[in-house]
Amino acid sequence: MMLRWLLAAVSLAGPGVACAACPPLAADGAQLSQGSTLLAWRTEPAMLRVGQPFSMIVQLCPADASLLRVDASMPEHRHGMNYKTSLHALGDGRWRVDGLLWHMAGRWELRWDVRSRAEPAAAVDTLRAPVLLQ
Amino acid sequence: MALVLAAVTATVQAQLIDYSSEERARIGAHGPWPPPPAQDPSNALQRKPAVVALGKQLFGDARLSADGQLSCAGCHVPAMAFQDGRPLPLGRSRHTVGARNTPSLLDTAWQRWLGWGGANDSLWAASLAPLLASNEMAHASVASVAATVRRTVAWREGWQRAFGKLSADDELVAVQAAKALAAYQASLVSARTPFDDFRDALLRGDSAAASRYPLAAQRGLRLFMGSARCNVCHVGAAFSNGEFADIGRPFFVPGGVDSGRHGGLESLLASRWNRLGPFNDAGAADPRAVTTRHVVQEHRHFGEFRVPTLRQLHCTGPYMHDGSLPSLRAVVQHYSQLDEERLHADGERILRRLDLSDGEAADLQAFLGTLSSSCVAAMPSRLEAGRKRPRPAP
Repeated sequence: MMLRWLLAAVSLAGPGVACAACPPLAADGAQLSQGSTLLAWRTEPAMLRVGQPFSMIVQLCPADASLLRVDASMPEHRHGMNYKTSLHALGDGRWRVDGLLWHMAGRWELRWDVRSRAEPAAAVDTLRAPVLLQ
Repeated sequence: MALVLAAVTATVQAQLIDYSSEERARIGAHGPWPPPPAQDPSNALQRKPAVVALGKQLFGDARLSADGQLSCAGCHVPAMAFQDGRPLPLGRSRHTVGARNTPSLLDTAWQRWLGWGGANDSLWAASLAPLLASNEMAHASVASVAATVRRTVAWREGWQRAFGKLSADDELVAVQAAKALAAYQASLVSARTPFDDFRDALLRGDSAAASRYPLAAQRGLRLFMGSARCNVCHVGAAFSNGEFADIGRPFFVPGGVDSGRHGGLESLLASRWNRLGPFNDAGAADPRAVTTRHVVQEHRHFGEFRVPTLRQLHCTGPYMHDGSLPSLRAVVQHYSQLDEERLHADGERILRRLDLSDGEAADLQAFLGTLSSSCVAAMPSRLEAGRKRPRPAP
């Protein structure tokens, strides 16, 4: 069962941040942007299987942005995951997300809530990407 | 001669549905069988032969129960796919019944959650639970389990080989007994089925072998993974996604309701014998603990029950968490005539009434029938032979 990217707003022109991790590299995975946030993500393992737990590595730009929440749902089925993710800052805008598990094949929608800057009053950007799990 | 061969080939091809490449991929995803042996880091000695042997000895011995009257095998009958063939199990007194159908123990080593409500996250925790359940083995405490182990002379030699000297820690002794039971159960793998032979033949391009699979089953398989969408939940080699679902079966029981997964999660998260507790041999390094660490309890889990495997179905009736459907025909009819009003109003929108014709229902039943072959656990050597077949399908 392969993971296939249906849609990802690809943008290599991220905000200019003087940081080794930004802008993300192709190896950081699929990229998408919203507001002032650029996000790249990939899964571990790369190949997902129904019912198997997986993790995600997220690269945020600017690197001082904060990952607040990662979730996934199946809109057509009206349900989400049976698991709540945990987020771990790895430094330089890189995050590890654990606790993902998709228990059905079909169209999932990934959602990331990101605080765009270190300031508490900074805007929260919500980024979404549809993914087909076969 | 060439004409004869052509005629034979035509006959063979006529007996094999021309599945699309997408269908073939879906069929392939239901195998291979058996999968690689399951590892459980929380039970470090699970594959040690002496532990498996001790577990088998304990499993069949009624002295393991508090009153010496009921063994694990009393409800999980080895010749009956390790279940009891009853809608609901007889209780310890043999006059009362439990609330849930006795599940088969075949292939449980690969299950993430154990039991209809998933109250346990390991085979050993699921084995400790009936030892302490008042209507099953009925020990009042782990101290009672440990005392039983200590006084039963017949187990001493096997215990010594498995674990060495008996510990003075009652809880550890009870957990070790449960881990031995788990080691034995983890060795119980179901036999290969006609479907597995068909799947492998199809994937290696052996049309002659694949065409021996009954046409009705081929049509039923197409329905299963096509318009009926059974494989949304019954996925993979085990025909289960390992999670829970509300399929519109009643969950009222005498005196209340069976909350299913909702209650199972409550028990799981409160238990000191889950994978996050002190008896996980791998501690925080157990990769299988990730799901226990992240699972959440939500209202929608109320009335959900585990999506069971479909392997060896002929041996595991009656069906459903409450044993309320007596036959595979009744199961197929349940989905065909599904009362959508019984599903959670705020729940998933996956199931719908199938309205199968008589022919479609018969085909689906024929396919499900090919997921069965034997009610006893397969001999490891025969499974090994299955793994070593020529040109194994990926």
